[in-house]
Amino acid sequence: MNAAPHAARQELPRIAFVAPRLAVDGAVGGAETLLFNLAQQARAAGCDVTFLTTCARDHHTWANALPAGETRHDGVRVIRFPVNGDRDIEAFLRVQEAISAGEPVSDADEDLWLANSVNSRALEEHLRGAGAAYDRIVTGPYLFGLTVAAAAVAPERTLLVPCLHDEPFARVRRIARLFREVRGCIFNTEPERALAVRLFGEALTAPGRPAGIVGFALPPFDCDPAGAARLGLTAPYILYCGRREPLKGTPLLVDYWAAFRRITGRDVKLVLTGSGTAEVPEGMRRHLIDLGFVGESEKHDIMAGAVAFCHPSVNESLGIVLLESWLAGRPVLVHDRGVVLREQTRRARGGLWFRDYPEFQESLNLLLDHPELAAALGASGRDFTRREYSPEAVQARLLAALR
Amino acid sequence: MSETSPIQIGAEGVDAEAIVRQIQERVAERRARGEYDEATVARAERFNLMNLKDDAQFLERYLACLRQAVQVDIGDFEIVERRAHAAPLLRRLKRGIWSLLRFYTYRLWSQQNQVNGMLLAATEIIATRDQERLDRLEARIRELEARPGAAGKPS
Repeated sequence: MNAAPHAARQELPRIAFVAPRLAVDGAVGGAETLLFNLAQQARAAGCDVTFLTTCARDHHTWANALPAGETRHDGVRVIRFPVNGDRDIEAFLRVQEAISAGEPVSDADEDLWLANSVNSRALEEHLRGAGAAYDRIVTGPYLFGLTVAAAAVAPERTLLVPCLHDEPFARVRRIARLFREVRGCIFNTEPERALAVRLFGEALTAPGRPAGIVGFALPPFDCDPAGAARLGLTAPYILYCGRREPLKGTPLLVDYWAAFRRITGRDVKLVLTGSGTAEVPEGMRRHLIDLGFVGESEKHDIMAGAVAFCHPSVNESLGIVLLESWLAGRPVLVHDRGVVLREQTRRARGGLWFRDYPEFQESLNLLLDHPELAAALGASGRDFTRREYSPEAVQARLLAALR
Repeated sequence: MSETSPIQIGAEGVDAEAIVRQIQERVAERRARGEYDEATVARAERFNLMNLKDDAQFLERYLACLRQAVQVDIGDFEIVERRAHAAPLLRRLKRGIWSLLRFYTYRLWSQQNQVNGMLLAATEIIATRDQERLDRLEARIRELEARPGAAGKPS
């Protein structure tokens, strides 16, 4: 940890990070993981950091499953607050479905949607009272009531980490107001910032308004492709790690992989880690290897042994798993329509991207037939990750954004 | 397969963009030769069509997928038997069952194929007419804009 010298530390801001969840077992979404990673980096840079979150573990029920109060997590001071128990879930879902379907929604319904999203009056009270001591409130992702409420306490001190996707929720008027009213934003990638400007206007990046790109700090790790063989992964395989759901593109990946096996006749397995279900085509079940949740070190070994990491999602604001795959020295295959992941891959020269099945087939064939190319793409991605996403690089960008 | 030019992967550094471009060119060549016109590819694209909906060529690709998948396959296929014990007998039994199935469901499948074919033809006719109408309208707009006195044009 490269803590700042004492004299400089006096000038560093006191920061509250606010996120809907912080799970002790790591089972949270990418946005929450990112917020905590930023909190750790701010602390490592010498800032006085407090992480404010709720007692919830499950993002479907938002039940208060963890005890309220102060604790420490990986060295960071954490305060948990109970989620409001009076949510009208029916009203929330009614408006949420209308927004998802792109139907017109009134201002009153937008407010109803946010009021019945995850919220914590106790957390808001804390920000209004003791929270006056925080120089900066860093909160996200954008689409939760808690984020909007935390930003409303002191918008002039609030930095939003939106984790923005091009989706119907980004077109809610109340969300547009959130983007315009806060002090500034911390983006993950250039395409995410460009999307925000397209949706909410050029004023977002006006001179003097923070709109920096920070990202996720990832220190290098040791991994061993032989570790994958020890887990029984001896045939060539492509890998996907994360939640399996249509929004993440996993049904597409399963279909493409099954078609690849049928058309080319090549014995390439599909290895999945993480949660969720995947519908597997007839006759393919024994070739799909579902490892469920695995430890970080195991995951890195599996990444190191893969032909490629395949992430077909078109709805990401940062691909943390891509960075991990590159640190493990392996290339990635991403969907051309996933602007963020494609741009990350293009900049890193760390993999290939496809628009449809035939391009997927040709790309995978190329990586299988030219292991030296796959290794070179992986190495290029590793250099990029070490340069752009090292803790030192992320801390420097974060401190600049917090000023 | 071998008629397409090999992809240059480069000796000095990796130019991922150039490789992707070459892959796209190779796919375009092969697609023109009808190499990906099969039902397996059409089925694999069912989730991708949502991603392509803003693409200028979306309708073309969608119709191509429909054309590949429109006929219910009732042709014969290789019947295998993995159990070594009494394999020839089991294979004969399976063939017999398949022949009976095909015989008794033939009318159903042929009607379904006829309906699918008609729906596809109707969709293609609508798409062609819409495209022709759009082309005519665009040409008319260009013509009107080119006239002296039109907005932005000196009269």
